[in-house]
Amino acid sequence: MSERIVRGRIDRAGRLVRGDAALLRLQQRAGSGIDKPLALPGLARLAALAQRLQREISRPLIAADDHSDIHALVRIVPDAEGAAIEISDWRTRPIAQPQIPPVTEAAAVSPQGWSWECDGQLRLVALRRGAEAPPVTAGWEGRSLSELFELQPDDNGHFAVLQSLARQTGFDGQRVRADGPEGRMAMVLAAAPQFDATGRFTGFRGTALREAEAPAPVPAAITDPAFGSLPLSDPAFGRRIDGALRGPLARIIATAETISGQFDGPIRADYARYAGDIAHAGRHLLGLVDDLADLQNIERPGFKAARDEIDLGDLARRAVGLLGMKAEEKGIRIDAPPTDEAMPATGEFRRVLQVLLNLLGNAIRYSPADSLIWIRLDRQGDRAMVTVADQGQGIDAGQQAVVFEKFERLGRTDSGGSGLGLYIARRLARAMDGELTVDSAPGQGARFTLSLPARD
Amino acid sequence: MVQASLFSQLASVNPALLACLRETSAHLAAPGATRLSEEQRALALGIARRLVGDAADRLDGAVDAAALWADWGTQGLPGATQMAGLCFARAEEHRWREQSVRHASDAAPHGVEPIAPVAVPTTAAALADDPLAAIDRAYLVLRIADRRRFDALGHPEVAIDDLDLDFFRSLLLDIAAWALVRSGKDPAVAARLGEAVRGALARHDPARGIDQAGAAYHAALAAIGVQADSAAVAIARHDWPALIALAAAAQKYRYDDMALALITAEPAQLAPLLAPLLRDHAALAPLEGSLAMLGNRAVASAASDDYAAALQARAATLGDGPEGAS
Repeated sequence: MSERIVRGRIDRAGRLVRGDAALLRLQQRAGSGIDKPLALPGLARLAALAQRLQREISRPLIAADDHSDIHALVRIVPDAEGAAIEISDWRTRPIAQPQIPPVTEAAAVSPQGWSWECDGQLRLVALRRGAEAPPVTAGWEGRSLSELFELQPDDNGHFAVLQSLARQTGFDGQRVRADGPEGRMAMVLAAAPQFDATGRFTGFRGTALREAEAPAPVPAAITDPAFGSLPLSDPAFGRRIDGALRGPLARIIATAETISGQFDGPIRADYARYAGDIAHAGRHLLGLVDDLADLQNIERPGFKAARDEIDLGDLARRAVGLLGMKAEEKGIRIDAPPTDEAMPATGEFRRVLQVLLNLLGNAIRYSPADSLIWIRLDRQGDRAMVTVADQGQGIDAGQQAVVFEKFERLGRTDSGGSGLGLYIARRLARAMDGELTVDSAPGQGARFTLSLPARD
Repeated sequence: MVQASLFSQLASVNPALLACLRETSAHLAAPGATRLSEEQRALALGIARRLVGDAADRLDGAVDAAALWADWGTQGLPGATQMAGLCFARAEEHRWREQSVRHASDAAPHGVEPIAPVAVPTTAAALADDPLAAIDRAYLVLRIADRRRFDALGHPEVAIDDLDLDFFRSLLLDIAAWALVRSGKDPAVAARLGEAVRGALARHDPARGIDQAGAAYHAALAAIGVQADSAAVAIARHDWPALIALAAAAQKYRYDDMALALITAEPAQLAPLLAPLLRDHAALAPLEGSLAMLGNRAVASAASDDYAAALQARAATLGDGPEGAS
């Protein structure tokens, strides 16, 4: 089910006027039908919200089916007649059993320890004891963390908590002394940073353990040479940068496009062009944020892609459908596999589509006007392959050796890409037990081949 | 007939079967009605367990809280109807906040300038003179009151100081009665329990609760007329406790009542609900979006129609045709 986009359409009153079979089946199982109101409450509310705001909305959707939960991504595009619904990445999962709500590692207090929280100025807003821990110091409310816990420097004279406050990252191994029932006791603090929806640092949440019970501090994360000191291994950092940048950028792009399109009235042509440049630069930055978020995700230890049953032919045609307009703008013709040609393979549907979009996007970007891009399917033994070839200037042997490196743009300085796309694409291919290779020569275009485990 | 009779006999001696049949019956009577998900059940039950445990712990060690819950968990909770509202409201608020945290990376910031950190004066005189410091302090107190509504593992609970005094007294007396019966109605135990209940009630301090913290925060903001701006900032930051507290104070509701009112509101009801506080309807979009993403909300439109009323309306429609034609 995950390999398809399920489509539907509602009228202005929110009635489902048409839909693919999967959506219709779900609508019927929920007790409704065609020409009747959407029966899935979550979907109906999203549709109503999109219509009310007259804005496209893309959100995760979780819906309950008879014996399973459906997890999907839904996109609602409102128009004058109602709204179009697109549901992708449709997955069914068994109904989740009730679980203890997740607790972050730093907040998982041992029975012998305390858990604490502070605000961005290190003032305590919570202090609780584990079941077997000594009682907490009275009158802690609103006091400074460093007042309640006497901070001890590490061997280099540094205080982990203060360094982490400056960087807004997590820390552990901060040795402190605090009042206990039998006088001063040695404890060790560890904590994770907290952020709100705008990416603003709101404080730390952590634990305080008696020194003998505290685990040895984990060595600091190895710094990525490409990112300097950016803590890419810290998921909170990724979420924060993602949340903090995506919204403002989306607004910059939308506003710049409104100005550029002169939707609110005519303006001077050069101003409209400047606005177009701003929108273009915004889209580039948004692409970079997407790439960084992806990079952070795939470089996480244990990252694995799903093993969907996919058809490389279908995915290639889907990629062509998405980027066809862009190619036409340059007069480029794309020779896609015919609709009856299939190449069954195993890989994660959306990740393979992401790789193909990257390859095809690069091909369009670096192909001369009025040229040809062709996409071919092939099978060699147990490998299913899809090749994207262009008639661009090609890549010499030296460049081929580095083209899959992070931030490698082969000397290009235009705003076309982040230099992360091919690096991410190859990492994704390998995460799916596949490979991404390039074959090229100067003046002869480039051929990028994605190979994945074949399926009979 | 034979089957119906057998069912009746089986159900009369098997409470589990009786409960299943009642639930099936309710389900068949309204298959499309919103029902509690397993997550909602588990959260509400967990909150009730922690509330009973916390209340029992207030009785100076006179009650075995584990045995109490084991008994009440099997036999049913006294005062369950009143406790249901509290636990359900807290569970729904927790679900909303957890969802908001999970989707924080998807949520777009809404152009809100962060409030600059405020230097906190240390003297009472300085606090009184500086409205920004008073706001900062009141917000800190609100956060402290809110974090009292979680246990050491971060699980949601109802803070004892947030309880209505009558409800708290009733809960303590139920617990004491259970402990007394368990002791074989020992007069010494009765005296000790009575003392413990009086002590627990004397220590009950609503001033530490979220309702008073919310009211104080609202008052501090109102002193310089920035409560609407702060509510908009709270929405943009998905700082739902601050928003609920401000809205509750503005409407003079209890915090948990306002939380439930917001969570179960239809989109069109949000503006009037927040009207005394916030008149900028555009600022409501993130709130509306966040609530729309919360599954299984008990909003009015999710409830099944009144079948009898619907049938009557349909009959009236059918009846109109021939009469009108004749």
